[in-house]
Amino acid sequence: MAETQLRAVPSAPLLAQATGPAAIHTTALCKRYGDTVALDGLDLTVNEGEVYGYLGPNGSGKTTTIRLLLGLHRPSSGRAELFGLDAWSDPVSAHRRVAYVAGEPFLWPAMTGVETLEFLARLHGGTDLAYRDALVERFQLDPNKKIRALSKGNRQKVQLIAALATRAELLLLDEPTSGLDPLMEVTFRKCIEEAKERGQTVFLSSHILSEVEALCDRVGILRDGKLVDEGTLADLRHLAAQTVEVTFTGIAPTLPTLPGIQVQSAGPNALRFEVSGSVGPLIAALAQSGGTSIESLTSREPSLEEIFLHHYDGSEGRGRD
Amino acid sequence: MAATSAPIAAAPGSRLWSGVGLGPTRALARRALRDARVRTICFGYLFAFYAYLQPVAYRDGYKTLASRVAFARAFADNKAVRLFYGEPHSLLTVSGYAAWRVGGTLAIFAAIFGLLAAVRAMRTEEDAGRVELVLAGAVGRRSAYLASLAAIAVGVLVLWLAETVGFIAGGLSAGGSAYLALATTSVVPVCVGVGALVSQLASTRRAALELGGAVVSVFFVLRVIADTATGLGWLRWATPLGWAEQLRPFAGAQPLVLVLPIAASALLLVLAAKLAVRRDIGTGLLRARDSAPPRLALLSSPTAQALRSERTSLLAWLGGVGVFAYILGEVAKSSSSAGISKSVNRELGKLGTGSIATPTGYLGFTFIFFVLAISLFACAQIGAARREEADEHLETLLALPVGRRGWLAGRLVLATVAAAALSLAAGLLGWVGAASGGVDISLAKLLEAGANCLPAALLFLGVAALAYAIVPRASAGIAYGLVTVAFLWDLVGALLGAPKWLVHLTPFAHIGLVPAQRFQAGGAAVMLAIAVATGLAAIFLFSRRDLAGQ
Repeated sequence: MAETQLRAVPSAPLLAQATGPAAIHTTALCKRYGDTVALDGLDLTVNEGEVYGYLGPNGSGKTTTIRLLLGLHRPSSGRAELFGLDAWSDPVSAHRRVAYVAGEPFLWPAMTGVETLEFLARLHGGTDLAYRDALVERFQLDPNKKIRALSKGNRQKVQLIAALATRAELLLLDEPTSGLDPLMEVTFRKCIEEAKERGQTVFLSSHILSEVEALCDRVGILRDGKLVDEGTLADLRHLAAQTVEVTFTGIAPTLPTLPGIQVQSAGPNALRFEVSGSVGPLIAALAQSGGTSIESLTSREPSLEEIFLHHYDGSEGRGRD
Repeated sequence: MAATSAPIAAAPGSRLWSGVGLGPTRALARRALRDARVRTICFGYLFAFYAYLQPVAYRDGYKTLASRVAFARAFADNKAVRLFYGEPHSLLTVSGYAAWRVGGTLAIFAAIFGLLAAVRAMRTEEDAGRVELVLAGAVGRRSAYLASLAAIAVGVLVLWLAETVGFIAGGLSAGGSAYLALATTSVVPVCVGVGALVSQLASTRRAALELGGAVVSVFFVLRVIADTATGLGWLRWATPLGWAEQLRPFAGAQPLVLVLPIAASALLLVLAAKLAVRRDIGTGLLRARDSAPPRLALLSSPTAQALRSERTSLLAWLGGVGVFAYILGEVAKSSSSAGISKSVNRELGKLGTGSIATPTGYLGFTFIFFVLAISLFACAQIGAARREEADEHLETLLALPVGRRGWLAGRLVLATVAAAALSLAAGLLGWVGAASGGVDISLAKLLEAGANCLPAALLFLGVAALAYAIVPRASAGIAYGLVTVAFLWDLVGALLGAPKWLVHLTPFAHIGLVPAQRFQAGGAAVMLAIAVATGLAAIFLFSRRDLAGQ
């Protein structure tokens, strides 16, 4: 129910939509592998210029989505489009406008970094060679080493440099920072921010929540092959519970039961409230039962992690249909 | 919970079984055995079938002593035939014939089996990173090494049993069969030793196979020289394939020679073990260079890059086919000087070997082995394409603006061009050898013989590609299996009394033995038509399926 409410309010980028087809658009996209349903009726739209965070735990269908978007696997039903081009039947035209970074760096072990970058650039076309050299510097890659001799993080850098250097209109990134050290993670975030400033669209599949929180305009949460929640971070926060902590000068009073508010003790003279929706009723109740004895009141918005866990903590998900 | 309590509960019982520390070794050996089961079973069938077939065919073809004497006289000095089967010792008896005809050929297969088994167990596993996982557990390097050897030993036993049973079923005495099979399989441990050693030296599966393949080729070439060149017979003592001959099954057995393979394999295996315990995991002693100056040639398309990564193996194929064609040409003349009588020639025809009484006849007969080799090469090309997909490199490629049809078509064109180059090399170097050996034959005729290999090889390429498009994970097995079955069926189908239409199912039945016979244009046209049809179907079907990882 909450989900329909959320969808009814279009988020900002949707209103600001440019003319022309969306960068990514799927309609009722399904994929079955034998008896396993990997993706179950996915409706997803990512507009040009957006940075979209795609969240979900292992096995929720993130990589399947990307494989369908790239036309590597064929949809069981439904449709996937990139810039209005069918992902399955017209992949080559679509891929000219796309750069992809896989979660596992599958490169040719006997080729060096330079040779790999050159090969990928020739196949993609339109690579900005000066930018590529700058990226090699920024990611501190030793380009003469053979792929075989590189660690996983360093192989990941080769893929990232190749993808970013194309300046493609759409970057499809599948857990792109797995194996990167924290310094390189910072470099990666800067590069994505620059891409965004240039107007590139970014589809970032990840389960590193801080990364998504820092970079993304909009977030979709996937569970068992279905999108269970979607919106801007502000939208998601608005609907999730926020935490209010109140410390009293004396013993904490007993409050009446309020709808949508859960109370926990947080010490002898403190209470913690989990509030879904407005905090108005809580303030009124506090004022009634001895507002003068309140020493401090703090309120905190939920982190993306809390929103995420909320969908997976075993209780029925809010947006589950 | 269950996992932590299980060892305590099971400890008293399992100690009795496994001794100290043998538990994980046994588990590893079992795992390795499972891993190798398909290869072991295939080789087992080949050994049993081949061992059964030859004595039966000989008994059937040469019923009288007189015919056997004629046969023996004809072959006693025939270098061209010795090249394939080694030195004959007693051709008057069925068992002596079997020892000569089967021993020489199967010993080569035994050598290949030993090398493949050792590299698979000791380098491929490490190349894939699995050994790291195993050694991170409670398993020492010695145990891991011993487990691999134990699994291979079981494989050798299977081959020995299969060959023995084959001979017994073919009517040879049980003791003699066991000894003959022992002579053949005595080659395996030595080549396992070679495989184990190169697995310590090379850091990748591919490099190990190349290095080991070179060593086994030297073994083979030494035996060929020893069996064909006058005065160099002593070289037989320098190669495990020669030792297998010197054991002389059914011809004055010399079991003492067994000391040689035993000592050699022990030496190699102990040396490999010493190296295995000392070196870093994931590396080889011959350090592969980690860095290299960039070489930017052949990077313009996936097909160019495929040629780039396959170039070493392509050159090895070219070299192997060329050298072998040269040797065949060189020795072709000695076959005619052996003076094979017409009746013997006719009898030979029954054995499925065709007429080899003249140099042309001999070349026509031997070029059928190039058809086989180039067909197997075609299978290997599809295998390489499949590996590109299994290693997920294809996913990287197809996420770029690279079309699926173009990718597969490029690989098929590359395979076709390479197969044509191999055919050309066979014809050209066969002619150079023949010319230098004093055979009067035109270059055009031998180039035709080379080109004659192509239609069947392309047919198998197309069928293998179709298998790849439909059942990617099983495609290599299907391709190699089809070629082997088709070749053997051509050799034995008629002998086993199968109806003509059934015998004619194999493409090999429709290949004229150029230069001895005429080029069969009709058969070639049908094969090429099937090749094109299956190739196009493969491209179409491949563009409609999901990519399949490992």
